[in-house]
Amino acid sequence: MAHAVEQEYTTTGLNHRKLLMWVFLGSDCLFFASLIATYMVYRGQSLVGPYPNDIIDVPVTTISTFVLLMSSFAMVQALAATNADNRKATINWLLATALLGSIFIGFQIVEFNTFKNEGLTLGGNLFGASFFTLTGFHGAHVTLGIIWLLALAILGMKGRINSKTALDVELCGLYWHFVDIVWIVIFTLLYLIAGFDVGPVAIPGG
Amino acid sequence: MAHETEHTSHHPSFNQYVLIAIVLFAITIVEFVLIWDTARIVDHLGPSKIPLLVALSAVKFAIVIMYYMHLKFDNRLLGAVFIAGLALAFLVGMALIALFVGFEGNPRDYAEARALPYAEHAEETVGGESTETNHETDTPPVAAGPVAIAVSAAGETLAFDISSISADSGSEVTLTLDNPSANNAHNLVIVTAGTKDAVAADGTAAGPANDWVSPGDSRVIAHTALAGPGASANVTFEAPSPGTYQFVCTFPGHNFTMFGDFIVK
Ligand SMILES: [Cu+2]
Repeated sequence: MAHAVEQEYTTTGLNHRKLLMWVFLGSDCLFFASLIATYMVYRGQSLVGPYPNDIIDVPVTTISTFVLLMSSFAMVQALAATNADNRKATINWLLATALLGSIFIGFQIVEFNTFKNEGLTLGGNLFGASFFTLTGFHGAHVTLGIIWLLALAILGMKGRINSKTALDVELCGLYWHFVDIVWIVIFTLLYLIAGFDVGPVAIPGG
Repeated sequence: MAHETEHTSHHPSFNQYVLIAIVLFAITIVEFVLIWDTARIVDHLGPSKIPLLVALSAVKFAIVIMYYMHLKFDNRLLGAVFIAGLALAFLVGMALIALFVGFEGNPRDYAEARALPYAEHAEETVGGESTETNHETDTPPVAAGPVAIAVSAAGETLAFDISSISADSGSEVTLTLDNPSANNAHNLVIVTAGTKDAVAADGTAAGPANDWVSPGDSRVIAHTALAGPGASANVTFEAPSPGTYQFVCTFPGHNFTMFGDFIVK
């Protein structure tokens, strides 16, 4: 279980790569906060439909939210297996995480396509513009995470992932969980709270 | 190093991770049931569902960063770096929302009402108006018989080419709106004095199906249909009793800059 990895001396006593990852995640919070706030500012300001209530499907998105939560669990198991030097379990859990992430992206592709067919476009109204920008950037984060997970799985098959290099998996895990918590926020605000908005009526308090 | 080893041993076990996953699932189910209309809970909650949902998602958020991302067990500096970013992000979000919602939800109205003319722009406007004044005096469409008045949108600018038109009371006026813009749609609505913004606001609510004019609006004397890019529209009506009226484009947002006076003699 112990991290037997050689660590360079740093003034903070912390691994630079890990600290850097946390700094990146902290800054990514600002990125998503700007997009979320923009969505909230434009909430209820669309002059033409479709409006959220016309197209947002909360039950389906609840399922994809479960899938993403499940993937975070698989990610935790991948790191545990790496620390335990269980190569086979590491690869399987990494692939399982990537698969669950892909299912989530699959849900999103179907959702975007349905919305497009119902008339919601990036340039159609403020709802479309702010919705696609926010969820699209989140989807891009998930996609990047899937590529990272697959790369790790390939490294694992080559025998290069073990408890000595567990940090590689841990960093990917931090990124993956972060993408999960961003979705927790998006799901609550865009779907559970703002998903039933109708019409071009300004909603006080955003 | 010592840190790492020591802290790693505090990592939750497999069973604890399963428990955490179940808790996260359970909270999501609760959230869903809260807004699921079949469950009828949402009817009782009303607006109080919002703080409840925000609180529940905050709990999920905290559980994931504390346990899945090990912040609870890791060096506090890592947590501090992340929380600092998160706090800044929260402030940026709140500032943005406050900025837009603060001015009674309409920063554009707020800005329009308090706009100070920029010196250079003011000169241009003065120049523009003076030519328009000439235009008016050159061709004052004042006649007892039928009158034709043409108004055009000023290219891509959200403005009309003329700031004032006039006609004699009781005359039959045919008003033509030309729209040379390649992108914008406009209409031309004659309204009673000082009501252009109110009419436009109601027009916005009435939507494009009504040409952005509320049907049966008593302040509206006459209006053209919506003229798309490159199109024209016209309307014929009898000039009302003498006085000053306004003409305005009620396409959402245009009413602040696309308007003028309609003077009936
Ligand atoms: Cu217009």
